[in-house]
Amino acid sequence: MAGAETGDTARLDSLSSLFDNVDSDSERLRRYAVDDLVPDGAVRATEIEDVERLQSFATERDLSVIAHGGRTMRDLGMPPRKYDVALDLSALDQVVDYEPNDFTITVQAGMTLAELQRHLATNGQFLPLDHPHFERATLGGICAVGRGGLRRGSFGGPRDWLIGMRMVKADGTAIKGGGKVVKNVSGYDLPKLFAGSLGTLGVIVEVTLKLRPQPASDQIVALNAPTFESALAASRAAANAAPFLNGCVALSAGASANAHDLGAKVLHDQPAILLRANGLETAASEVLAQALRAVRDAGIDNPERTTTAIVETWQAVADLELQNTEACVRLRLGLPPANLPRGQRILADNLPEVTSWVAAADSGLMLVDVPTVDADTVKTLRTLLGPLQGRLTIESGPLELKRAVDVWGPAGPGARLMHNVKAQFDPSGILSPGRFVDGI
Amino acid sequence: MKTPTPLVLDLIDAIGEEAVVWHDEDLLVYEYDGTIDRGNPDVIALPANTVDVVSLIKIANKYEAPVTPRGAGTGLSGGALAAKGGVIIGMNRMRRILDVDPENKTALVQPGVVNLDLGSEAERYGLAYAPDPSSQRACTIGGNIAENAGGPHTLAWGTTTNHVLALELVTADGEVQWIGHDTRDEPGYDLVGCVVGSEGTVGIVTQALVRLVPRPTAVRTMLAIYDSVRQASNAVSAVVASGIVPAALEMIDKMTIAAVEPVLNTGFPLDAEAVLLVEVDGPESQVEAEGARVEGILNRFEPRELRSATDPEEREHLWAGRKGAIGALGQIMPNYYLLDGVVPRTQLPDVLDGVYEIAERYRLPVANMFHAGDGNLHPCLLFDEREPGATERVLDAGGEIMRLCVDAGGAITGEHGVGLEKRDYLPWIFTEADMDTMKSLRAAFGPTENFNPCKIFPKGHGCGEAGHQHAQHQIAKFGPKAFV
Ligand SMILES: Cc1cc2nc3c(=O)[nH]c(=O)nc-3n(C[C@H](O)[C@H](O)[C@H](O)COP(=O)(O)OP(=O)(O)OC[C@H]3O[C@@H](n4cnc5c(N)ncnc54)[C@H](O)[C@@H]3O)c2cc1C
Ligand SMILES: Cc1cc2nc3c(=O)[nH]c(=O)nc-3n(C[C@H](O)[C@H](O)[C@H](O)COP(=O)(O)OP(=O)(O)OC[C@H]3O[C@@H](n4cnc5c(N)ncnc54)[C@H](O)[C@@H]3O)c2cc1C
Repeated sequence: MAGAETGDTARLDSLSSLFDNVDSDSERLRRYAVDDLVPDGAVRATEIEDVERLQSFATERDLSVIAHGGRTMRDLGMPPRKYDVALDLSALDQVVDYEPNDFTITVQAGMTLAELQRHLATNGQFLPLDHPHFERATLGGICAVGRGGLRRGSFGGPRDWLIGMRMVKADGTAIKGGGKVVKNVSGYDLPKLFAGSLGTLGVIVEVTLKLRPQPASDQIVALNAPTFESALAASRAAANAAPFLNGCVALSAGASANAHDLGAKVLHDQPAILLRANGLETAASEVLAQALRAVRDAGIDNPERTTTAIVETWQAVADLELQNTEACVRLRLGLPPANLPRGQRILADNLPEVTSWVAAADSGLMLVDVPTVDADTVKTLRTLLGPLQGRLTIESGPLELKRAVDVWGPAGPGARLMHNVKAQFDPSGILSPGRFVDGI
Repeated sequence: MKTPTPLVLDLIDAIGEEAVVWHDEDLLVYEYDGTIDRGNPDVIALPANTVDVVSLIKIANKYEAPVTPRGAGTGLSGGALAAKGGVIIGMNRMRRILDVDPENKTALVQPGVVNLDLGSEAERYGLAYAPDPSSQRACTIGGNIAENAGGPHTLAWGTTTNHVLALELVTADGEVQWIGHDTRDEPGYDLVGCVVGSEGTVGIVTQALVRLVPRPTAVRTMLAIYDSVRQASNAVSAVVASGIVPAALEMIDKMTIAAVEPVLNTGFPLDAEAVLLVEVDGPESQVEAEGARVEGILNRFEPRELRSATDPEEREHLWAGRKGAIGALGQIMPNYYLLDGVVPRTQLPDVLDGVYEIAERYRLPVANMFHAGDGNLHPCLLFDEREPGATERVLDAGGEIMRLCVDAGGAITGEHGVGLEKRDYLPWIFTEADMDTMKSLRAAFGPTENFNPCKIFPKGHGCGEAGHQHAQHQIAKFGPKAFV
């Protein structure tokens, strides 16, 4: 497959004269495959200038480049239209600037979230994003994907913590946006534009983030429910009754069992609710008590409390998002939280089989695993979910499905502007071409 | 008697006579937004809905007349001034709160809604709209979105950009589009994130879906009076470093006390050097414990006096001195020039010293009242514009204060915007390539040369604002070198 798209590996020969870390071993290049396309070469950047040089080289020769962080979400998006060179950023992994008392940190894009959190923990701080596979996921990848996680109801997503960014544009020009201060309206907010742009506008090489102090107390309560539907209804009630909850998740039996295997020992092979609260100990307990009353009124009353292994338990649930994606299709639904139960019913009524449901009840996020689904069903679901403001995307799935239906869904009303943005930032279309919304 | 131009006649045709302002004496109120600069619009059009906005933009485009959106005109950076004349589109008639959805905690509003009105409406549902600029009795949601406004309570909750979910936007070519999504799940670029903070230069916001946050069950406000600014700013750093995230952390200094005390009877001793206001909120037990911790920290820096209140009325009284501060400055001098630099929080004590030093060197009284917890300074240089040379001195001192913030690793504006006023200083923080990229983002929103011209970016022809020359002077002194 290598080179088949370009049919001209000679174009890459001079890459070796530019870098001493070019990989063109076809076996090793497979690691950089995206949707079965293997690049002709891979460059592992060790300094920002490598990224600049690669991009100007690629622009000159019209080579398509796909950036790689931890490769945990490598296949997110449509199959690339063209893919010549992989740009691996995982070696750009240094802390650039950290003054703990400013509650901000600047790091290179290849640093993993786990490494960052370890660094911050020594000062009692953390970045409130709980990404799956945080041992591998990089800050660059996290920002490029731009998703908020299961606690996005309390913490938002990467966009909400990003205050500054350095990027390299398609043509190799190094630029920056934002700064190192927590409040800033000096110039346009380029970090927001790049957050969630999936590597289609430029390569993120450095990010500056706001931080939080670690809470004095962090508590989780798990409850078993007879069905996923009842877990969802009760967790919605909890979210309404206790708005200061710091996580409110409903899981199906399948999801609970998987999470148990991943380390969430409070979960069993049963539908469940997971409630999380933090702050000062008494305050967190107060919030949980409020939530538990609502859950009890909804008919579920078997709380199992834990104050240990909170991070592991939660991480296990977050990791569900990335578990055995090869074996199934993973759908992601986002919609106003009050519409969750109705959205869930639409999915349940139209999908022949669902292996796992996970819903963040306070923020309208649902992750659904199905063994298989066809393009028509996806389209039908999108039509039915539209009036609920539901956005259904395919997180991962077999190539045939991705070829048959747009994983992002039909272009929204902002598509015209998005194409304009892409044309301004990457006029020759060499960055991850075809992978994003509406063919961008 | 002035005769209406064809442009004015067309505008009247589109939205009615009562919605178009074009007589010279009526235009005066639209010349100013609290900064030193002035702009002279040819005509003001006041649309009632999105369709009106589209027609107005198309008419203006037909005559190649510049268009400038305007909210309440409290912007303080010249953003709402018609720098090249033309049409000001005033959003004040579009002031309806269209929907509050308590379960999803969102509100759909028109851009002319006054910030405080949205806050009051949200309160009826036990919710709040977090960004609460000190100007909240007047400023509009549209203006807040344009400036990514902050306020005392954005320390814990984040600024406007963290609270705007979706927008209806009319771009410079008169196209209408909805961007964003209720839960930020619309696939694609974060266009909403680009529009927020773009200072009204990429289009007119005609509707906004904003996030509301739960109101805390308990609130405690503490006020500490200090004998030196150093003590107070060290206390700020210590609170931030303690790991407590207060709901608000504000400071006012001696000159501000001198201005507010006679008008508002806040009971501040006139010889005190600084007053800190700290608020904690949340569940009852949290507020009690955190309040006690904050008091402990404040006491470490030996305040002359520490007051504390949980009762709403008493709290309001403690806040009065801060909220009324800018309004009271007229007590001391007829004019003020308010800066908006922002620095990493550990730099605050040194930068404040620098601000006083600069003001003294330029022989200008300076009052500071600001969002200390965010590192967002608001030095107000006080002067009388009728005194020859005063305006020039103020602009020069302002430039030097901005430079001080940049050199401390900060930025030239935290919440008021670059606008017309600070655009010459943008190269102190951004390179040509950075600014070209920003301009290319602007270009993606359509042909915008005539749309809110002369804002944010340096250069531009025929903008002729007062500050420009003095900015050149400061740039020459410090060099245009970008802070990198
Ligand atoms: C089920 C599930 C749940 C998730 N939940 C959350 C969540 O709760 N919160 C959350 O924030 N995220 C969540 N994510 C996404 C998470 O962000 C990814 O794990 C992470 O973004 C990938 O990082 P990576 O370094 O492995 O990137 P990669 O997989 O290497 O790359 C991902 C994409 O980003 C691009 N990219 C990578 N690095 C850069 C760069 N430096 N510059 C430009 N483009 C780049 C790549 O080209 C690719 O398109 C979830 C993902 C899944 C599948
Ligand atoms: C006493 C005082 C205290 C202040 N305190 C604070 C504070 O604590 N925090 C803070 O952030 N700011 C503060 N400000 C600054 C100011 O109030 C804010 O920037 C506010 O957001 C401006 O709103 P406005 O409606 O007055 O906008 P205007 O001044 O009318 O306009 C500001 C900008 O917004 C654009 N604009 C207005 N409406 C729209 C629209 N519908 N679509 C697109 N663009 C639009 C204009 O073109 C202009 O560029 C203060 C100002 C004063 C005078």
